[in-house]
Amino acid sequence: MTLWKTTLAAGLLAATALAAPAIAGGTLRLDEVAVGELDPAKASDYADSILMFNVYDTLVLPVQGGPGHAPHLAESWESDGNAFTFKLRGDVNFQSGNPLTAEDVVFSVERMKALGAGLSYLLGVVESVEAVDSSTVRFNLSSSYAPFVASLVRLPIVDKTLVMENLGEGDGEMKDWGQAFLSANGAGTGAYRVVSHNPQEETVMEKNGDYFLDMAGAAPGTVRLRYGLEASTVRTLIATGEHDISSQWLPPEVMGALAKEGAQLFTESGTGAFYLKMNTTKPPLDDVNCRRALSAAFDYQTAIRMIAITEDVSAGSPSTGAIPVGMFGANDSSMVQAQDLDKAREHLAACSHDPAGMDIEISWIAEVPLEERFALLFQSNLADIGVKSHIRKLPWALFAEQVSKPENTPHISQLFVNAVTGDPDTLLYGMYHSSTPGTWQSPEYLNDAMVDEYLEAGRNAPTPEARQEAYSMLNARLTEIAPTIYSYDRQSVFAASDRVKAPALTDPAHAFGLDGMGFSFRLMEVADD
Amino acid sequence: MSAVLRLLSRRLGISLIVLVGVSMLIFGIARVIPGDPARIALGPNATEEQVANLREALHLNDPVVVQYGYFVADLLQGDLGVSLYTNRPVTLDIAQFLPATLELVLFAGVLMVGIGLPLGMWSARYRGRWPDHLIRVVSLLGVSAPSFVWAVILMLLFAFFLPIFPIAGRITDSFEITRVTGFLLVDTLLAGNGAAFADALWHIFLPAFALAVSGIGQAARLTRANMVETYDRPYVEMAQAYGFSARRIAAKYAFKPSLIPSLTIIGLDFAAMLGNAFLVEAVFAWPGLSRYGVAVILRKDLNAIIGTVLIISATFLIVNLIVDLLIAFLNPRIRHSERGAS
Repeated sequence: MTLWKTTLAAGLLAATALAAPAIAGGTLRLDEVAVGELDPAKASDYADSILMFNVYDTLVLPVQGGPGHAPHLAESWESDGNAFTFKLRGDVNFQSGNPLTAEDVVFSVERMKALGAGLSYLLGVVESVEAVDSSTVRFNLSSSYAPFVASLVRLPIVDKTLVMENLGEGDGEMKDWGQAFLSANGAGTGAYRVVSHNPQEETVMEKNGDYFLDMAGAAPGTVRLRYGLEASTVRTLIATGEHDISSQWLPPEVMGALAKEGAQLFTESGTGAFYLKMNTTKPPLDDVNCRRALSAAFDYQTAIRMIAITEDVSAGSPSTGAIPVGMFGANDSSMVQAQDLDKAREHLAACSHDPAGMDIEISWIAEVPLEERFALLFQSNLADIGVKSHIRKLPWALFAEQVSKPENTPHISQLFVNAVTGDPDTLLYGMYHSSTPGTWQSPEYLNDAMVDEYLEAGRNAPTPEARQEAYSMLNARLTEIAPTIYSYDRQSVFAASDRVKAPALTDPAHAFGLDGMGFSFRLMEVADD
Repeated sequence: MSAVLRLLSRRLGISLIVLVGVSMLIFGIARVIPGDPARIALGPNATEEQVANLREALHLNDPVVVQYGYFVADLLQGDLGVSLYTNRPVTLDIAQFLPATLELVLFAGVLMVGIGLPLGMWSARYRGRWPDHLIRVVSLLGVSAPSFVWAVILMLLFAFFLPIFPIAGRITDSFEITRVTGFLLVDTLLAGNGAAFADALWHIFLPAFALAVSGIGQAARLTRANMVETYDRPYVEMAQAYGFSARRIAAKYAFKPSLIPSLTIIGLDFAAMLGNAFLVEAVFAWPGLSRYGVAVILRKDLNAIIGTVLIISATFLIVNLIVDLLIAFLNPRIRHSERGAS
């Protein structure tokens, strides 16, 4: 090749490299069951969280593989009594090109509180928020609240300038607060920008080449998040190489079949558990001995086997108490719950109600067929100690209505509950504090002064060590009074093709301990198309 | 006014009354489904205050009659409210999802008529011989399994074991087609993109066929039964005596009179496909209105339920109106009786 041709070729190659978009990388295809809510102020379920964590950023992030939180959009923070002051990074721009300022943080808080949707209640403790200067923002809380920093993982920061330019119809100065715009468009600093969004079909995102943090070159260039695919369709798509990651809602049998065919199994744990909640106001479960008998009678080992996907991977792990293993304040993983029928009979003998007259109502949520299997298992366990029971299928809507009154609440309600911020406060306070009875989370109707005291201490303790102590005491107290059967700690499992690497979903040292955050696409790698 | 116009205006008037009745009925039924729509919409983590605010905003604390009044007032302005499922105006959702379902159902209807009627005709013409037996067995298979079973079987056979057809979606992702009508087969033609048209056709065939299988079987069986009866009529015997060809007798003298009862059933089948499309749409990830309709019912999304049911009812009525007109066109006795009635 002549010199000029070589030079020309080298020049073209260099020009191509320079002109190549920063969105190089393969396409990642995954699915979720529900529609994806793109407006971050309304985000609450798993699909919404995946969108939120990729299109938007938060002031802090959970530390990967450990407890606590690390700065993210914030450079640092300090607290002084009930005031928290955050210093923002100076190198962050929104996807629109607008720089991130303290005004954007103030606007994001005010917007969430004004809309009152999604997980906005987490900011209920924020009395006021102010921009001290363009890169400093101060939150003033109405009372002390130790998990406040943890709750900021649910405060996505939106681009105030862009939203104000796109206000829709509505009353007052803020009109619709940009709801119409943000339900179809992104306005964040996130690593992925929205290309198109159809809430029933799919959301297409592409890599944000100007993201303020480094991203692996093999991070997906395009992401297609599809909604509402049938299990049979997902199974076929993955088997034919047309899909990369399934939702966690595939039946275990389908997940197992895919694993046998070579699919990887990704997992996310430490965020929630499966509970059999006992109505402590309804005889015979108003007697602690009777509740202890039922707790001891439950066959925890079989429950784990029922949700096994392969020999190594299961949709749950043995429970050690009220707080899932891996979450702040949990018991040691060796202290697993186990069935003890002799103990169950002893407790039953001490119960003030006659076992012969008992008829325990075991409910299961109609939309979660897996729960029927647990209802049948528990019915069989109760029969082993001579307690009669019957099973009742309840649609979610009816269940949510019935639990508002203790007399209508079944003896046993089966529920999956997650900590929405990863902190035990958001898991346990709404479940057990005497001020929050009659919600779907609290069919126990527990009213115990010691439990209240430990919950308050967990909320207000000044140091992590003091909080740890409070939650350990709480765990012990809950085991003693047995308002709930801690069936197993939940582990979300996803089938994935071998094109994808996701350390946050495969390596506990990189896990976030927060539902959906493992799906931060910038931390994934995908093979070229 | 001609008889056909009188028939049309009478049917349109009745359809309007039916639609008003349907709106009242569904408005009432949607409100007796168990569960609080505000609680379901806001999800399990919403506070009681959030739920109470949404109930107020949706007028759920008002009497049902007052709520219906709000609904009618909004409807007259073309506003069906906001869907609690997608958080978008219901009219926008329907405009987005309806074309996908209509395209699927129309294509399935074409397959039903294009395959079912000739099969029935062929079966009758060769009645008692092996083609007749074969078609009757195939037709029976078609009507005995529901559409979603066919959807899964067809997907396994022709998308998994023999990867001939695509598994999901309406068109390959790489095609970027401007949505004009929402009917991809039309939009791709409008864009002058032959490859995209072929791709859309390739995507729609399997789900439409799954949806049509039962209708094909029914149309074939009905057409055969009617034609066999017609073959015994004296005028057919006379045509045979005149020495007309078997093909001409089948097409002209046996088929046309047999078409009238078949058309009535085909019209009903076609409308029923709008409802049956749900599971087929789910299996093939077809982003249509039927799937949306079921999702909103499960979430007690009142505005979306009413909007979807009204649209499906209107489509049902339109299809029946077209079938009535076709039958009037084919059967002079109906035209004449209509004139007599007026």
